[in-house]
Amino acid sequence: MTKPKLLLLVVFLCCSTMLWAQTTISGKITDSKTGAAISNVSIIIKGTTLGTYSSTDGTFRLDVPKSNASLLITSLGYTSREVSVSGSTMDITLEPGNSKNLDEIVVVGYGTKIKKDLVSSISRVTSKDFNNQPLPSFEQALQGRASGVYINSGSGKLGQALNVRVRGISSISADQQPFVVVDGVPIVSQSLGSSDEPDNPLATINPDDIESIEVLKDAASAAIYGSRASNGVILVTTKSGKQGKSKVSAGFYTGWSKPTHYRPFLNSAQYREIFDTAALHYRDSDLDPTSEDPLVGADEFASETGTDDWNSTNDVNWGKLAFQHGSVQQYNASLSGGDGRTKFLISASYNDQKGIIVSNRLTRGTGRINIDHTINSIFKVGTNISLTQSNNYRVPSDNAFSNPLQLNALSPVQPEFGPDGKLNTSTIYYNALIDYEDNNKNLSKTARTISNAYIEATINPFLRFRSQVGIDWNNLQENQFLGRRTLDGAPDGYSYSNQVTASVFTNTNTLNFNKTFNANNSLDALAGIEYQRGETSGSGVTGLAFPSDRFTKIASAAIISAGTSSETSFRFMSYFVRGNYKLNNRYLLGASFRIDGSSRFSTDNRYGSFPAVSAGWILSEENFLKNSKTISFLKIRSSYGVTGNAEIGNFSYRSLYTAAAYSSISGLVTSQIGDDKLKWENTKQVDIGLDFGLLKNRISGELDVFSKKTRDLLLDIPVPATNGYSTITKNIGDMTNKGIEVTLNGNILVGQFKWSTSINVSTYKNEVTRLVAPVAPGGRTLGRLAVGSPFGEFYGVKFLGADPANGDALFADKDGKPTNDYSLAVEQIIGNPNPDYYGGINNHFSYKAFDLDVQCQFVKGGDIYNIAGIFQSNNANYFDNQTVDQMNFWRKPGDVTMVPQPRLYTSNGDQKSSRWVQDGSYFRVKSVNFGYNIPKNVLRSAKIESARIYVAASNLFTFTKYTGYDPEVNTEYVGNINLGHDFYTPPQARTITVGINLSL
Amino acid sequence: MKYINKILLLLILISGFTACKKVLDTEPQQSIDAGTALQNDQDVNSLVIGAYSRMANPNLYGTDLLLMPDLLGSDDVCQWRGTFSSPKSIANKSMDRNNADADLIWETAYDAINIANTAIDALGVVKDADLKKQLNGEALFVRGIMHFELVRLFALPWGATADNSQLGVVIKTTSTKNEVDAGKSYPRNTVKDVYAQIITDLTKAVTLLPEQNDKRVTKYTALAFLSRVYLQQQNYTGARDAADQVISSGYFSLNASVNAVFSNKDTKESIWEIQQNEQNNAGTANNGMATFYASLPGIGRGDVRIDDDFVANSYPTDDLRQTQWYYQGTGARPDHTYCSKWISFSQNLPVVRLAEMYLTRAEGNLAMGTTVGDTPGNDLAMVRNPLRTNSTAPANPTLNDIRNERFIELAFEGQRIHDLRRLRLPTGSYAWNSPKLVMPIPQREIDATSGVLVQNPGY
Repeated sequence: MTKPKLLLLVVFLCCSTMLWAQTTISGKITDSKTGAAISNVSIIIKGTTLGTYSSTDGTFRLDVPKSNASLLITSLGYTSREVSVSGSTMDITLEPGNSKNLDEIVVVGYGTKIKKDLVSSISRVTSKDFNNQPLPSFEQALQGRASGVYINSGSGKLGQALNVRVRGISSISADQQPFVVVDGVPIVSQSLGSSDEPDNPLATINPDDIESIEVLKDAASAAIYGSRASNGVILVTTKSGKQGKSKVSAGFYTGWSKPTHYRPFLNSAQYREIFDTAALHYRDSDLDPTSEDPLVGADEFASETGTDDWNSTNDVNWGKLAFQHGSVQQYNASLSGGDGRTKFLISASYNDQKGIIVSNRLTRGTGRINIDHTINSIFKVGTNISLTQSNNYRVPSDNAFSNPLQLNALSPVQPEFGPDGKLNTSTIYYNALIDYEDNNKNLSKTARTISNAYIEATINPFLRFRSQVGIDWNNLQENQFLGRRTLDGAPDGYSYSNQVTASVFTNTNTLNFNKTFNANNSLDALAGIEYQRGETSGSGVTGLAFPSDRFTKIASAAIISAGTSSETSFRFMSYFVRGNYKLNNRYLLGASFRIDGSSRFSTDNRYGSFPAVSAGWILSEENFLKNSKTISFLKIRSSYGVTGNAEIGNFSYRSLYTAAAYSSISGLVTSQIGDDKLKWENTKQVDIGLDFGLLKNRISGELDVFSKKTRDLLLDIPVPATNGYSTITKNIGDMTNKGIEVTLNGNILVGQFKWSTSINVSTYKNEVTRLVAPVAPGGRTLGRLAVGSPFGEFYGVKFLGADPANGDALFADKDGKPTNDYSLAVEQIIGNPNPDYYGGINNHFSYKAFDLDVQCQFVKGGDIYNIAGIFQSNNANYFDNQTVDQMNFWRKPGDVTMVPQPRLYTSNGDQKSSRWVQDGSYFRVKSVNFGYNIPKNVLRSAKIESARIYVAASNLFTFTKYTGYDPEVNTEYVGNINLGHDFYTPPQARTITVGINLSL
Repeated sequence: MKYINKILLLLILISGFTACKKVLDTEPQQSIDAGTALQNDQDVNSLVIGAYSRMANPNLYGTDLLLMPDLLGSDDVCQWRGTFSSPKSIANKSMDRNNADADLIWETAYDAINIANTAIDALGVVKDADLKKQLNGEALFVRGIMHFELVRLFALPWGATADNSQLGVVIKTTSTKNEVDAGKSYPRNTVKDVYAQIITDLTKAVTLLPEQNDKRVTKYTALAFLSRVYLQQQNYTGARDAADQVISSGYFSLNASVNAVFSNKDTKESIWEIQQNEQNNAGTANNGMATFYASLPGIGRGDVRIDDDFVANSYPTDDLRQTQWYYQGTGARPDHTYCSKWISFSQNLPVVRLAEMYLTRAEGNLAMGTTVGDTPGNDLAMVRNPLRTNSTAPANPTLNDIRNERFIELAFEGQRIHDLRRLRLPTGSYAWNSPKLVMPIPQREIDATSGVLVQNPGY
C-alpha cells in the first residue's frame, strides 16, 4: 500500500502549484425576534466538512472557496437555514424553533448528511445527552436513548463487556456486537483478555471526548460497511476545535455508589432450622430411595467443614461481604480553539472508579489532540491522536469460587475470621475474600491509541479527495497473583502474566462528488477503496511456588507451569460506491454498493457484495402540505439492502492440525475439520420509515418498521463424534428479526420554564427459521435454538412446586400432569429472554439558571433464569446458604408451597427446571442530573465565562419483580446462546455524584 | 491541470486494486493446514504422540477412565461427596442422557481413535521401517484399548446375552479426511464384534510393538491389555497366558514400597503410565485424579471419601497398604479417610502395573487348574511380599482370595466395576448387568446421527 501514498504526494505537488482562489467571509448571527447574538451556531460549507462555530458575541470568520458556495447554519432551538455566500460580510438571522432532528448534521459512513435529507435509519446521541455522567463505558450512553439499540450491561463489574444489540440478534456463532468506528477508524471492540468473561476494550474510550454517537441501523446506512455491518454500525465522532477564541474547560466530579439491590439470605437461626429439617429427611439412595435415614444437622455440618461452628453464636451476613462502598472521581480539562486555517482541541482526563464489588476498580487516564489545518484552498490535513492508559482490577468469573458474590453461599454460622485473626479458611466453600487480602491482585492494564491522519484535496468545488490512515493499537497486560492461602494459589502461590497486542491498521481513500444543480436538485456521490489489516499477538507465563507471599513476580517462582505465545491476523480489501440524488428538494434517491474481500474465507468465496437502495419523499415540500399550520415536516422513506457478518474467527474454513504436548514430548493432533465452502453470513433488511414535525416542529418524531432476514448463519453444527470431531462450522441457519421503533420529541413548555421530552419505544421479534437440528440447552443452562422460536428461548422441565401430600418436588410430565420422577418430566418452552419491548423516557427541564435532566429506561419481558438457584434455592440439598423464600418449605401434609421438603444430600427439586425462571421486566430511573449555572455577573470578576455545579445520579431507582440482585443481568461464562442467565452475577451500581464544570 | 489531477486520482484507485491481489492470503500461526500436516517420519511420529496426549486428557486416563469405574462401583467402598452433578449421578446410578462425563469420554475416545486411524493411513510417508512398524503398533494399540474402554462403559457387559449380540459401540477403523466423512453416521456394532475387533487390533499390536519403547507403549503393554480383555470375557486361558508373557519378559518387577509406583515416575512395577508434569497434566482445579481424591492443604477437593469400613475390614490386619494408601484428610472436607494413591497434580498415572498381572495369572491358573509361569500361591505371595505389605499370603489361595486381593490391591485405579461385572457380583442393590450401570449414549450423538445410534435401555 505504499503506492497510493506516493501517488498522493505527486498529486499534492501538482496541485500546490495552482492554488484555488478563495475568500474569507465574516459576519454575525442574531436572533430574528430579539436581535440578540447567538453563540455556538454551526456554520458549515454545504457538501463539505469545513465550517466553524459562532463565538460568544455571535460573530464568525470562515474561509470559503470562491464559488457559488452555500452555508448551512444550524443551532439548537432555531430553525436552520441555508444561505448562499454573497460578499465578504454576512449577517444572518435565525428564527427560533425546534430544529432538533431535522437540520442536525448527522455522521454517516464516510461522510455527513443533513438529517432532513436522510433516507436511512440512524439513531444519534450527542455529548449533551450524556455529559457529566459516570459512565463505565460510552456505549451505556445509548441505553434508553437510541431507539433500536438494546443494551444489557450484563453485570455490575467494571470494565466488563456489555451486550449491545442493534435491531435484534443477527448471528449465532459469529459476533453479535455492532461494528465500531471511531473517527473513521474501525477499532478492536472484542475482548482481548484471557479471562473467560470478556473485558471491554471500549471502556478505554473517554466518553467526554465524544461529540456524537451515531448508530447505523438499516441497510441503507450500514451497507456501506458491507461485511461488517449486519449487527449495525456505531460511529463515534470525537470533539474537534472551533474557530474563535481559545477556550479552556475543566470539570470535576466525585461520587459514591452502592448496589441497586442486596439479595437477602438466611440468618443463623433460619439456617439451622432448615438444615436440621433437611438432615432429618435425608434419604440414602444406595439403600431404599423412598425411606428416610435421619441424620443430625450439626453432625453433618461438622463432617463437611471439620468445625463445630454449627453450635456457635455467629451470625454472619456473608452475602453483604461481597460488596464495598464504591466511589468515583473524574478530573478533565480541555483547550480548544482555532482560526480560519487551523482548529485544535487538546483534552486530558482521569477517571477513577472504585466498584461496588470487593476489589473491583477501573481507572482511566486519557489524552487527546485533534488538529485540522487548511493548507490552502485545495489541501487540508488533520490528525486525531488519542492515548489511553487504563487499569482494571478485575473480579473473577461468575463461575469461580473466588467470585465474591459466591460468598452468599457461605454459612452464617461460620465466622468471617479464624482464631488466628486472619480470614477464615474453614468455611464450607472457599472464603473468596482471601483472594483480596495482602499482595493478591488481578490487574489488567491497557495502553491504547486510536489515531488517524488524513489529507483532503478539494479538487474543485464539487470534487473532493480524501485519504486517511488510521490505527488502533491496543496493548493489554494481565497480571495476577494469588498467595498460598487462596484457593487457586495454594499450596505455594500462583502468578500469571499475560500480554496481548492487537492492532488494526486501516487505509481509506475516497473521492467525493457533491453538486447542486439549478438550486433544487443535488447529487452527492462517493467512491472509495479501503484496506484493513488486523493483527493480534500475545504471550503469557504462569509461575508456581514462591518463597513467601511477599514475592509476587514470576522471576521468584520455582516452577514455570505454563507458557505460551500466539499470533493471528486477518485482512480486508474493500471497494465501495454510493450516490444520493435529491430532486426538486423533495424526492430523495440513494444507492450504495460495496465489495469486501477477506482472508477469513477460502479463495472461492473470498469476495462478497453488499448493495443497498433507498428512496424518500418529503411530503411537506409539496404544495398540498407546504402551508399546513399543523404539519411542518413530513417525510416517508424506505430502504433495502444487504449487509454481512465476517466476525467468524480467522481460519474457520480450514481443516487444521495443532500441537498437543504429552508431558514433555510434543505431539500433533487433528484440531478442526473445515468446510471450504464457508461463506459470509448475510442480512437482507427492509426498512420503512416516517419522519415528521408538527406545530413548527415543536413535536417531532420518527417511526420505523424493519424486517431483517439473515441467511447462511455460521453455526458449529454437531456431527457424530465417532468420526473424531464433534462440530463443524457451516452456513446452516436462517433467522429473522422484525420490529418497530418509535421516537417522539416534544417541547412541552417553552418560555422561562422549559420542558422538553423524548420518548422512544422499540421492539424486536427474533425467530430462527432454519437449522439442521435444534441446539439443545447445555448442562445447567436453558437457552436453546429451534426453528420457529426466538433466539435463546428457555427450554426445560416445568417445576410445579411441592406435592402437598409428601413434600416431593413435582414436575410436569408429557401430559402436563405432576410427577415426582424427574426422568419422566418433559422439556418444554418455559421462558423467553428477549424483551417484548424496551425504550426510554428522557426529560429536560430548565428554569432560569437551573436545569434538570431525568432519563428513565425500561424493558418489558425478558425472562431471567437464575442458575444459582440450583444451589441457593434448592430447599437445603447441601450446606449452601439459602435464599429467604426457602423458609416456606413444605412441613406437613396439606401444605401448599412451591418449596419442597428439605432433604439433605437428596435431590428434591434441585434439578434444572423452570423453578428459577422469573419475569425480568424493569423500569429504571437511569440518570438524573440537576444543575445550577452560576450567574455571569458573579463569575465575571473571577474571569470565568461559565460555571455549572450539579448533582447527578445513575440507576437511582429500579422497579422490578425480579427477586435476584438486579434484572439487568447476563452472566457471560455460559456463552452467547444463554441470554438472561444469572449466576452469582453482581448487580449494577447506584451512583450519586456532585460536580462542577468551568469554562474560561 | 484539472484533468491531470483526475487522472492521477484514478491511478491511485486502480493501484489500490492491483497492489492488493495477494494481500488477502494469511496463514495461521498456531496450526497447520491438514493438507500439508503429514509429510514425513517426524510428522506421523508427532501425530502418534498426539494420540498419547489425547489419552492423557482428563476425559480419558487423565481422570475419567480411572475415576468413573470406581464411582459406578462405589457402594460400600467410597462416596462421592463433591458438588459436581455429573460424577454425583454416576456414583448414585442416576445418570441421564446428557451426563457430561459420559459425553466427554465418548467424544475424546473417538477423537483418539480418529488420530490413530489417521496415523495408520499416513504410514505410507514413513521411511524408517522400524519406526513405521512401531507407529503402526502404537496406533493399533490406541484404537484397540479405546474401543475396549468404550464398550465396557457404554454397553451391557460381556455375557449379558448368551451370544453377546447386545449393542456395543461403533467400531471405527477409518480416518476422517474431510467434512463429508465428518458428517457420516454409523450404527452400533454388537458387543461380540467390538471385542473381536479389539482382540484383532491388540494382537496385531503385540507383533508390531517393540519390547522397549522409552515411556511409550510396548509389546507388553498390549499384552497386559489383552489379558484384561480376555479376563473380561472370562477367557482365563487367554488372560493367564498374556499376563504370563508380561511377567516372564523380565522387564518389570514389584517395587519395595507400595507407594513408589504412584509417587515416583516410571518405576519397574509400572507397565504403562500416563506421563504428566507441572505444565501438562489433567488439571488442578476441576479435573485430575488428585483434584478429586486428595484432601491436603491446597491440594484437592476431597470429593471422593473412602469408607472407613472398607479400609479397616478388607485389608489383612496391619497390612501396610492400609496406612500407606489411606490417610485422614487435612485439606478440603478434612478429618475423613482419603486415598493417597492420588495426591499430586503432576504425578504420573499408572494405568497397568505388574501386581495386576500376577493376580490375573493366578486367577487364570486357579480357574483352569494350571500353574503356568508359577503357582497361584507364589503369585499372591509376590503381591503380598512382606516388605511391600507386611502381611503374608495363604499358601493355597482360593479363587476368592485372589479376587479379594485384586479389589484391595487395585482399589481406586478404575478397575472395580469391571471386575464386579465380569464376576457377576452386584454393587449395592444393582446387579452386575443392571442397565443403571451402563452409561448413556450421549444425547448429542443420537441427535447428530438422527437416531442411527440407538440409546441404551433405561435412558
